[in-house]
Amino acid sequence: MTGGISKRIYRIQFALLSPEEIRKMSQVKVITADTYDDDGYPIERGLMDLHMGVIEPGLKCATCGGKVDECPGHFGNIELAMPVVHVGFIKEIKTLLDSTCKSCGRIKLTEDEVKSYSEKFSQYSFSSSDPEIIGLMSKKVTDEASTRMVCPHCGAQQIKIILDKPTTFREEGIKVTPKEIRERLERIPDDDLQFFGLNHEVARPEWMVLTVLPVPPINVRPSITLETGERSEDDLTHKLVDIIRISQRLRESRDNGSPQLIIEDLWDLLQFHVTTYFDNQTAGIPPARHRSGRALKTLVQRLKGKEGRFRSNLSGKRVNFSARTVISPEPFLSINEVGVPEKAARELTVPVTVNIFNIDHVREVVARGPEPRDEFGKYLAGVNYIIRPDGRRIKLTAQNAEENAKRVEPGWIVERQLTEGDIVLFNRQPSLHRMSMMGHTVRILSGQTFRFNLAVCTPYNADFDGDEMNLHIVQKEEARAEARIIMKVQEQIMSPRFGGPIIGGIHDHITAMFLLTHGNPLFPEAQTVHMLSYLKLNRMPPVEVVGGKKFYRGRDIFSLILPEGLNLKFPSKLCSSAKEKCDFEIEPIDKDVYIINGKMTHGTIDEAAVGSFSGEIIDKIFRKYGSEEAAQFIDRMTRLGVAFISGRGFSTGINDYDIPESAIARIEEISQQAIDRTDKLVETYRAGQLQPAPGRSVEDTLEIEILSTTGSVRDESGKIASAFLGLSNPSVIMARSGARAKMLNISEVAGMVGQQSVRGGRLNRGYYGRTLPHFKTEDIGAMARGFVKSSYKEGLNPLEYFMHSIGGREGLVDIAVRTSRSGYMQRRLINAFEDLKVDDSLRVQDTVGAVIQFKYGEDGVDPTRSDKGETVDVDYLAFDLENEEVQ
Amino acid sequence: MPSIIFKDTKKNIELLSKKAPVGYAIDADVKPGVTEAYVTFDKKVFPYRLRISGIDEYKEGSSAVEKKKAGLMTILAVQSVESIDPVPVSQFRKGKKKLGEFKDFEEVELPRIQVVEKAAYLDALSHDVKEILAIAGKKKIELSISLAEQLAKYKKSLSQKQFDELMGRVGRDLESKRIDPFEAVGIIAAQSIGEPGTQMTMRTFHFAGVREMNVTLGLPRLIEIVDARRIPSTPSMTVYLKHEFENSEDVVMNVVKELENTTVIDVADIVTDITQMLLTIKPDHAKMSERLVNQSDLLDALAKMKGITVISDPDSKDIAVKPQQESFKRLYQVQEQLKILTIKGVPGIKRAIARIDPATQSWILYTQGSNLKEVLEIDEVDANRTFTNDIIEIAQVLGIEAARNAIYEESLRTLSEQGLEVDQRHLMLVADMMTFGGTVRAVGRQGISGRKSSVLARAAFEITTKHLLRAGLLGEVDPLTGVAENIIVGQPITLGTGAVNLVYRAFTK
Repeated sequence: MTGGISKRIYRIQFALLSPEEIRKMSQVKVITADTYDDDGYPIERGLMDLHMGVIEPGLKCATCGGKVDECPGHFGNIELAMPVVHVGFIKEIKTLLDSTCKSCGRIKLTEDEVKSYSEKFSQYSFSSSDPEIIGLMSKKVTDEASTRMVCPHCGAQQIKIILDKPTTFREEGIKVTPKEIRERLERIPDDDLQFFGLNHEVARPEWMVLTVLPVPPINVRPSITLETGERSEDDLTHKLVDIIRISQRLRESRDNGSPQLIIEDLWDLLQFHVTTYFDNQTAGIPPARHRSGRALKTLVQRLKGKEGRFRSNLSGKRVNFSARTVISPEPFLSINEVGVPEKAARELTVPVTVNIFNIDHVREVVARGPEPRDEFGKYLAGVNYIIRPDGRRIKLTAQNAEENAKRVEPGWIVERQLTEGDIVLFNRQPSLHRMSMMGHTVRILSGQTFRFNLAVCTPYNADFDGDEMNLHIVQKEEARAEARIIMKVQEQIMSPRFGGPIIGGIHDHITAMFLLTHGNPLFPEAQTVHMLSYLKLNRMPPVEVVGGKKFYRGRDIFSLILPEGLNLKFPSKLCSSAKEKCDFEIEPIDKDVYIINGKMTHGTIDEAAVGSFSGEIIDKIFRKYGSEEAAQFIDRMTRLGVAFISGRGFSTGINDYDIPESAIARIEEISQQAIDRTDKLVETYRAGQLQPAPGRSVEDTLEIEILSTTGSVRDESGKIASAFLGLSNPSVIMARSGARAKMLNISEVAGMVGQQSVRGGRLNRGYYGRTLPHFKTEDIGAMARGFVKSSYKEGLNPLEYFMHSIGGREGLVDIAVRTSRSGYMQRRLINAFEDLKVDDSLRVQDTVGAVIQFKYGEDGVDPTRSDKGETVDVDYLAFDLENEEVQ
Repeated sequence: MPSIIFKDTKKNIELLSKKAPVGYAIDADVKPGVTEAYVTFDKKVFPYRLRISGIDEYKEGSSAVEKKKAGLMTILAVQSVESIDPVPVSQFRKGKKKLGEFKDFEEVELPRIQVVEKAAYLDALSHDVKEILAIAGKKKIELSISLAEQLAKYKKSLSQKQFDELMGRVGRDLESKRIDPFEAVGIIAAQSIGEPGTQMTMRTFHFAGVREMNVTLGLPRLIEIVDARRIPSTPSMTVYLKHEFENSEDVVMNVVKELENTTVIDVADIVTDITQMLLTIKPDHAKMSERLVNQSDLLDALAKMKGITVISDPDSKDIAVKPQQESFKRLYQVQEQLKILTIKGVPGIKRAIARIDPATQSWILYTQGSNLKEVLEIDEVDANRTFTNDIIEIAQVLGIEAARNAIYEESLRTLSEQGLEVDQRHLMLVADMMTFGGTVRAVGRQGISGRKSSVLARAAFEITTKHLLRAGLLGEVDPLTGVAENIIVGQPITLGTGAVNLVYRAFTK
């Protein structure tokens, strides 16, 4: 494929194979049920006849003369001694027999009916109309025809045919042989076939009864040689052996006039073998088995299902030039980069076509050999193979490199190893959205893992607990261009799902930005310089001298990485719930983050500013300055974050959850109150005095009441605990800034874990009338039904621990069920919508040209580029404009 | 506008439609001013409408078609006979009330959905907005009205120069945001809805504002919408009342009573006495008062049931019921019929709960079970706002465009309830794709995927062999226009950059 001109298949016509055609395409008539002789050479006219292709190196195909990988394989054929029906068409054969006259072969409709129906049918082209519609129409016609007991054409009396599943037909209890069926089907005139949904140009009904069987090429059913030297045949070959054997015996018995009974038995056996050859899961037939007892995988099984040919080999294909290994983080890489281990880079190659412009450089690279390094021992890209214009591949070794370098000429292809700057595709499964496969530029690193910037974890949904990812090297210029222009990480910052950034700071980045900007702290010069040394910048923030020493403001440091001219105002996550003044900020104005002309003056940078999914700053930079600038901002922000937080230090420990004794006592007190209140509720219920809520039973009402009691006590304990945990607490910083966890998790550690639940209710299953034998039966008090009054810090007692595990288990089951259910839903969605595209006038069309929408999304706006779904954010544009004018 | 309705024979109507325009003599006195007549054959539905251009007194020997031999009084000048969507008798109103008993002739009103011509939307816009739209038109900016309205806010606060600049920026922004031709919007939509599916809760039941009511939410609900299930697992309606009623608790409670379908077994026990061949209904007063039913409602309901004799004893609240035909089989049948005998309410509505909406401080009713058609017919109900979560029902009652909106609204609600942000355009596309054929089609092999034009694409999805065998019989031709089939044969797909063909012609001398 060096020419660059490829042919295109424009259509595929489906049809039934006629016996003549089967014989015509057959290269050999297979008559022997054997495969190889004692020397291991294929037996002539056997199932492995050389006319059907070759699988052994060294041999040549008797038909085309090709060797192993050259010969595409050729069909053979088996002449069946007696005809048998094709299982796949049983239903069609049944309707055909039911609706046509057994003697004259015409469809059992009067001439008038035939005329009116054929008018209807002629409106549809069989090859391109919806098969469902044709199916429905023909069902109506055949239903009508099949109920007629006298033929309207010849007046013959009809006998009802019963299908004895799977393949036997009976007429008044007497078997109708396939031979007779075939004869009847032959009598049906072409003109009547349309009523059965048969296109007479490509399908005759009698072809559904087989007289000759095609034998698939050997390539389709290769035999394998085991280590012991023993040959093991493919399932299809086994099945074909059976068919030939029985066919032969049947022929012999028939020719020497054996009793009818024996012939019939053999005929049935042949039918069985042919049936299972097609579909070994036919209902009503025991599946044919291998000697070991394993059911054979025959034709239908090969095609069907997830592991079948269609889904496993045709819709998804295995590829070369790919790699897979464990991933790990590398904060010093850009979001656009991926670190590739040397070992992988040496194996992965990019084809370079030699031309007069690059020949000198290519010769130089080829001369380096397959494992070059520079003078410092650093990786250099070498060459693994050279491909000559005639397609011959030359393996490059250290010895033949120099010599081959001289032989390289324009038109040759050199398979160059991966080098820095190459564009590759990087992917993590499950690939749920398009950001699961993005273009990265290569950095060659030592080590064994793929590495990338932590900001890119979000689109891939990756973590580093052992995740593996795949790397694909694009092989063509067009593909490389598309990868760079469309698929590169920086082009995918905006998610098409909601029109906001999906790439942004995570965990430590957010914590760091928070600490850097909250309250606008002062940083001594040394620390500032250290931080900024991580960034390639040539300016310093404005200095502030306190007590003779130089200090720098956090917000000023942050402002350094903002692009000039950026104007922005938005509420920080920290203050998202505040109305007038935020409890966590000293000045009311700090509720909102203010950035005017690229300088941050107020507020706190947190998840709402730089986080993935929400990052307002990233969003606006991307829109105003483009992907390049946005990527640079994320790179710098993550680097600054890492620089700052690794210098400052940040960690949390168990003593961060210490709260005063009095608070613990208070929590203990309210939890006891909750238990008491629950007991009281149970008492009222037992006394029959509980008023049911409208539309609910008394039991339901009780449960709801108890749940709200235990729920509120948890909230309350959380409030008590968090009153003592301020913004100086690292865990609180993480929760409030949106870096990780929620306040709820903190209150679980410091305050109380609270009520455990299964399916939205309190725990209630287990033993008869109780969850555990530690309780009395019918005890429906708080503790007996999974109320955990301890905190994680305090520790759970064994009973609580058990209850907590029950709740935890539900979560795990839920995830397992959910992934499979949503996976299937997504598969169906993709399948239903994959063909839709916008045309050049913004209409949405499907493959047949039907218009689904006249203007995509009613406004013709790309959701990726929309402002969080809005067509245009007029308010921001006005704000930006006003602030530009001010300067 | 008054109309007349009457019963007639099919033969007469056929004759009329052949001869129209023609005079038609009927056996009733018709007031002048009537322009339409609706005709029924079975007293239940009215499948024909006669356009009447004049009314005359009947005189013997006139050339009119005669309805029957005797008793003719009026001649209607019938302009045309139209076959219409059958109008059920319950649609007609006599004065303000529903038509009760219909005999053979009635003068009635047929209330229709009033289409009030609003002043053209553009005229209703403020001066500023209109001006902005005009300027935008000149500058060739495709400004939507909502954007113009947003812009109008800045008309005053910004200087003319600034404002012009702002408008220019909006225009450029719009331009740059336009979707690229050949973008694979379908796949993007499918991914955008499918991907958050993994983050949704599985929990089937959740409270939707009303504690007493369970509604399926989360992933199961999303799957249900996409599947176009015949009946949702928890059908429910949100019923709004007309503005004049929505603050009156009395009316609300009455509507609740009218809505809730109460059967005998809901409010009473039924005791079977085999020796006496007698069924005794023992009303439970607590249940009755909860369901707002009284003894006479019960008796009324029983009176409508056929084939039984009701023996009510004034001293006791119990009611005895005796089948007219004495057999055990009949006794059993009657017992079963009694159990499900509707005392009052709308069939299908199991419960109705009224709540005050905190936002508007007016009453909203939530129901368990759904019956859109009949609920909309209740006078107090505001048909404009009331909706159900049963999409198929909406399609049947209100039509396909309404179903399209229902799919969109329901999926949007399901996703946003879970706190998942998904652009509306994706949901619109799903809704449009499911409904553009005129019926609600499911996503999956029964619906959209099963109807693809490509054999290979269908075979690759599900039920592989069926499609391949079928294709052989029909001689189907796979045009290889979609994505799946081109991947199967190993060719570039027809979306995105694959949709355009570029040919490079090198310079030749």
